[in-house]
Amino acid sequence: MIKDFMFTSESVTPGHPDKLCDQISDAIVDEFLKKDITAKVRAESAVSGGVVFLAARFVSDVEVDLPDMARSVISEVGYEGGDFNAEDATVMTNLLEYPAESTRPADFSQTGDSDLNRLKANSQVTVFGFACDHTPAMMPLPIWLAHALARRLYEAGSAGDLPYLHPDGKTQVGVEFRDRKPVRIHSISLLASNREGQHPGPKAMQDDLLQAVIEPVFAGQEIRPDEETEIYINKGGLFIGGGPAHHSGLTGRKTAVDTYGEYVRHSGAALSGKDPLRIDRIAQYAARHAAVNVVAAGLASQCEVQLSYSLGQANPVSIQVDTHETGNVEAGEVVERITKHFDFRPAAIIRNYDLQRLPSATEGGFYRRLACYGHMGRSDLNLPWEQTDKADLLK
Amino acid sequence: MRKVLPAISINEPTQVGESGTRNLKIRLVHTRVRGRVRLNINRLYRSPQLKQQLEQGLRGLPGIRSVQASVLTGNLLVVFDPARPVDDILGMVHSQLGIERSAGASRRARAAGGSDIRETLSHVVDLFTQGLRSPVAAAVSGAALSPGGGAGDTSLVAAEEPGSNWHRTGIKEAIAALDTSSTHGLSAADAAVRLAKYGPNALPEPEARSNLSIFLEQFNSLPVALLGVSAVVSVMTGGTVDAIVILVVVVINAIIGFFTERAAERTIRALTGSKPQYATVVRDAEAETIPIADLVPGDLILLNPGSYVPADVRLMQTDRLSVDESPLTGESVPVTKDADFMAEADSPLGDRKNMAFMGTMCTGGTSRGIVVSTAMSTELGNIQSMITTAEVPETPMERQLDHMGTQLAVLSGVVCAGVGVVGLLRGQGWIPMLKSSVALAVAAVPEGLPAVATTTLALGIKEMRKRRVAVRHLDAVENLGSVQIFCLDKTGTLTLNHMTVVALHTGDRRYTTSEGQFLDHDGVVDPGSIAELRRLLEVVSLCSETALAGDRNNPDLEGSPTENALVESALRAGIDVRALREQNPRLELRERAEGRPLMSTQHNAGRGRRLMAVKGSPAEVLALCTRFEKGGEVLELDEETRKAIIKENERMAGDALRVLGVAYVEGGSKQRHEPENLIWLGLTGMADPLRTGMPELMSLYHRAGIRTVMITGDQTATAAAIGKQLNLSGDKPLEVLDSTSLDKLDPELLAGLIKKVNVFARVSPAHKLKIVQALQRSGFVVAMTGDGINDGPALKASDVGVAMGKTGTDVARSVADVVLQDDNLGTMAVAVEQGRTIYRDVRKTIHFMVATNVAEIEIMLAGIAMGYGEVMNPMQLLWINLFTDIFPGLALSLEPAEPGVMERPPRDPSEEIIRKKDLIRMLEESAIIGAGTLGAYFYGVKRYGGGLAPATLAFNTLTIAELFHSIRSRSNQHSIYHKKRMPPNKYLNWAVGGTLAVQIAANYIPPLRTVLGASRLGLVDFAVVFAGAGVPFFINEAVKHFTTARQAPPAIEGAYDTD
Repeated sequence: MIKDFMFTSESVTPGHPDKLCDQISDAIVDEFLKKDITAKVRAESAVSGGVVFLAARFVSDVEVDLPDMARSVISEVGYEGGDFNAEDATVMTNLLEYPAESTRPADFSQTGDSDLNRLKANSQVTVFGFACDHTPAMMPLPIWLAHALARRLYEAGSAGDLPYLHPDGKTQVGVEFRDRKPVRIHSISLLASNREGQHPGPKAMQDDLLQAVIEPVFAGQEIRPDEETEIYINKGGLFIGGGPAHHSGLTGRKTAVDTYGEYVRHSGAALSGKDPLRIDRIAQYAARHAAVNVVAAGLASQCEVQLSYSLGQANPVSIQVDTHETGNVEAGEVVERITKHFDFRPAAIIRNYDLQRLPSATEGGFYRRLACYGHMGRSDLNLPWEQTDKADLLK
Repeated sequence: MRKVLPAISINEPTQVGESGTRNLKIRLVHTRVRGRVRLNINRLYRSPQLKQQLEQGLRGLPGIRSVQASVLTGNLLVVFDPARPVDDILGMVHSQLGIERSAGASRRARAAGGSDIRETLSHVVDLFTQGLRSPVAAAVSGAALSPGGGAGDTSLVAAEEPGSNWHRTGIKEAIAALDTSSTHGLSAADAAVRLAKYGPNALPEPEARSNLSIFLEQFNSLPVALLGVSAVVSVMTGGTVDAIVILVVVVINAIIGFFTERAAERTIRALTGSKPQYATVVRDAEAETIPIADLVPGDLILLNPGSYVPADVRLMQTDRLSVDESPLTGESVPVTKDADFMAEADSPLGDRKNMAFMGTMCTGGTSRGIVVSTAMSTELGNIQSMITTAEVPETPMERQLDHMGTQLAVLSGVVCAGVGVVGLLRGQGWIPMLKSSVALAVAAVPEGLPAVATTTLALGIKEMRKRRVAVRHLDAVENLGSVQIFCLDKTGTLTLNHMTVVALHTGDRRYTTSEGQFLDHDGVVDPGSIAELRRLLEVVSLCSETALAGDRNNPDLEGSPTENALVESALRAGIDVRALREQNPRLELRERAEGRPLMSTQHNAGRGRRLMAVKGSPAEVLALCTRFEKGGEVLELDEETRKAIIKENERMAGDALRVLGVAYVEGGSKQRHEPENLIWLGLTGMADPLRTGMPELMSLYHRAGIRTVMITGDQTATAAAIGKQLNLSGDKPLEVLDSTSLDKLDPELLAGLIKKVNVFARVSPAHKLKIVQALQRSGFVVAMTGDGINDGPALKASDVGVAMGKTGTDVARSVADVVLQDDNLGTMAVAVEQGRTIYRDVRKTIHFMVATNVAEIEIMLAGIAMGYGEVMNPMQLLWINLFTDIFPGLALSLEPAEPGVMERPPRDPSEEIIRKKDLIRMLEESAIIGAGTLGAYFYGVKRYGGGLAPATLAFNTLTIAELFHSIRSRSNQHSIYHKKRMPPNKYLNWAVGGTLAVQIAANYIPPLRTVLGASRLGLVDFAVVFAGAGVPFFINEAVKHFTTARQAPPAIEGAYDTD
């Protein structure tokens, strides 16, 4: 295994079209669950030019105004005026209601242990969960930094420091590793688009972003950019007016950004736009939860947990662990311990994380907030799968 | 439309300025062709006198070959000896007009020599500078409307001839020129004088074709010409009797054609009939409504949305006036007008924003304006005068048939010639060959073909009128048959446009209403006997701003649709709302406001008690309640009940109902201000209910392969719920397009997007045009309903615009192709069925005519090719044409709808009326018929050797075979082997029976037999005849049966997919 290498991960801001679609899809999931915790919904979005496409398949008593959800996300993200905005956007909705009762899910919060087997996996999927000791959030350093930069970049634009920034932006961080430990920031790259007709000029903008975005992110960090670190800010020249008017977006196209920045394996299945019944979404959370606790328990400094589900089975058909040679105990032993202490059955995941009720219990929506800056390692959200509550049990 | 060619516009008109001869302008239009010159003389326009002067004066002058002057365009065309210079000719023209040219102009013109046209044109500017001297001048000067001014102000007025330059005239100048007032309008006396001077403001009705011309036109066709030639040939070859018979056939044909065509023409004429129209003008400072015929130049006119512009108007004050000018410019997007705008001199009509033109229509806003020209002086009149004859426009189907008829005539001509040549080569004499060719020509020509379409379409219109569907254009019938997408307005078309309480929830029971009755899940209930329901209805009647006016028993409700619905529901429940309000006088009313989504009223309930009635957003009202009523008791409102109510609210909202929560509280005399501690009564759910039978109707359209699309201003959630109720998408996902700014979307993109859309949400009526155009761009034939003023453009743009007869506006009705007189969308299905049937009937008739005519050709051709000479004589062929072709053909065009016609997808609009595969089928069938007839002929040859018998056998066989074929032509799918019968066509029964009787007569009445050159046939012969005719029939039916069984009509769902 190569131990010395340079690795880059990227993140995008909420205004990026792909992320916009993820947020719209998850806002729809939130809205359904908020009104009807047993709702079943798949929502996919695509956006291009002035048109938003929504495809929703659902079973629910309640009526959700999908275009309205889309418009409110678009507007909250900061698209106003210009070529693409909430009011003028044309929203094309494709609605299919599943035939009612037969597929209607239950409320799993009260499900007793004996009934957990009744909900089977509804998809064939292999998912991965990962945790490592690069950061307190137990995320790989490159993606963690990329998210931090993206968040700062977006907030600089939306909170008013740098009002000329468009909500669409992209960040990338390259980190040098020695012996699989991050040692140095190799490069930082920001792509920040400008609102039309407002830009301070390339030089001033570089200075602004260095000061308002990069410096605050690295303040207090152990590893900081050094003299040699290459910093690219809009290296390709000014980028005026980004967003769907310039490039199109699609739900589920940023799965690496949603997970570990490609530092390790991740499932190809999209996370956003799926209700908690979808095993390909929630198993990723459960796998992450297991990995976090393995690292927290000190069993390894890096841990990848793999879960494979088959259609019609409640338990995963395969549970694997890879500690990348950092383990203090045998991988087989780790598998045994997590199998004992984690319940990976779909109904158990829903019940234990309260995934049906979180949207109504969380101000401003639950899934929607996951749709930006990653679903994992979110120290800002107090997510159930980030808890180290089982670390002691694994020791 | 007036088109200003660039070549003309570069040269300024020549002006002739002298007292009394103002405004003479002459332009050189072109000299491109040697020996021809076209001039435009403004005074020639509408001056027959000048036309005569010029034509007579110029003709006969040396070098001039012909002269043509048009009073419609003002153009003068002179054809002259190309050897003569153009200049000479111009000289002659101007001397006719009594003008002398300046030497300079003459020289320049000569120098140009007509070679460099642009230069010549620019030089013509000063060609004519002298005044008019000839008597023509007098005729010229009085011809047109020349406003105001004395004799002296020549140059200015001449340059600004207001006849066509009002768009360049300021408002004040226009008022002055027309001697009117911007405030008082004209005086009644002045208006009367002007009316006498300018005549009524009416365009002459295009003259209908006279009976004689319809009759004569029957002879003006290629088939008749061929028959005429045949008659002449017959006379030359000694066949006088033949010639007479041919002429009789021609005349009989013409008579039948005359009657059917006249009936059709009458039906079509009736479509264009219009009611008298009125306009609002100011005269003597008073607004009054006058018939538009009484309008005169100078009238001060008021334009309102929905009104036609009755004359050409110079606008004075515009308030967001928008005008649909499509009748004039073809531009379907309404133009916004602006009185203060000043147009360029030669700007096209569409850019003259300070003018409104006759025949256009106000779609929005208002305006005052001055009438500047009326009747034939208007732009519309100008266009109309260019249309010389009042032809009913041909529909695409008629054009196709015309084309096909000509092709067939040419083809048969070629075949005739071929037969003649083959016969000659085989050594037959000239005369018999010529006769045979003639006979063949007579046989082959499908005389009635082009008339079939017109007749059938017109009959269809008549039939639809009986079913309360008024079709206003002939080609709409055709389009009806091919409609692929039906766009429906939600409000007023699918719904009643009347908000109604449809669901209630009190205590823990649900109620629905239907036709004024209250029902729970067990059936009808008496709302008076259920305490909380009665109370709820009383509270909503009190907490309401709806006023009750008029009749005590059947009051008019004046208020918002929602509150009216609630009060109406209370009245239906037998509550005396008036009395209730009198007993509980209102003390205070607090309306719903931002952040307070409920309305509360306080009432003096008598005996010192106060009642607070509250209604509003269910969640908000429920939050203020602590108790609720159930079974007449007031109970504590526990969490469980609250949840149940919230759940019920969501369920009702999910059904696209507008839901309100109702509560009340009674107390002592202490005045409360804010509602609190209320007693919950229940929920009311209101909707603009769908008309009955709509979901069934939608599925009827779906089965017929017609996609239904709903257009509504509602939000997506509501729209989707209704779309679901209507099952607009069948079993496919419901696609909703939600946009308030369709106009900002790239049209190509829109066209791509909307291929599968079922519901357009949040769409304003103005965007309907975009939707129609986008659907058409995707290649669909679109029908659209509309009843509002601004639906006009969309109705016109759609292939079939549908307006409602009762609720629609006049504007919508006047531009629609189809008016549903009883507002019943279901009759549209009838119309579609008729449209499809008519198209199929035309096809059937053609199928019959072509197949039988081709069979005749084949038989004759085969006989000659095989050396038997002519199988039938011309008389026999004519006989077949006269009886067996015409009557069954006509009867076929009256076939009733085939069963299942509404179970099939619409036809492909781009497909020809006769497809290649139809043609092949006709050829196959004609060959089989021909074989049967030839079989009978050969039997005759074998048995009788020669003489009249073989031909007689062939003649009878073919006649009967053709009658059989008319039965075969009734359907392309349905054969006699099907278990189910086709619906009977009594016309065809009569036609077949009658023809059969005539045929028997031909065999048994000796003189007739002699003329036909037939012999007497025996019983065996008749058996052979029926075998020769019947066997092909059974074979053809079998072929049909098995080919259609193989290609069974496709299942509708799969057949119509727009992917």
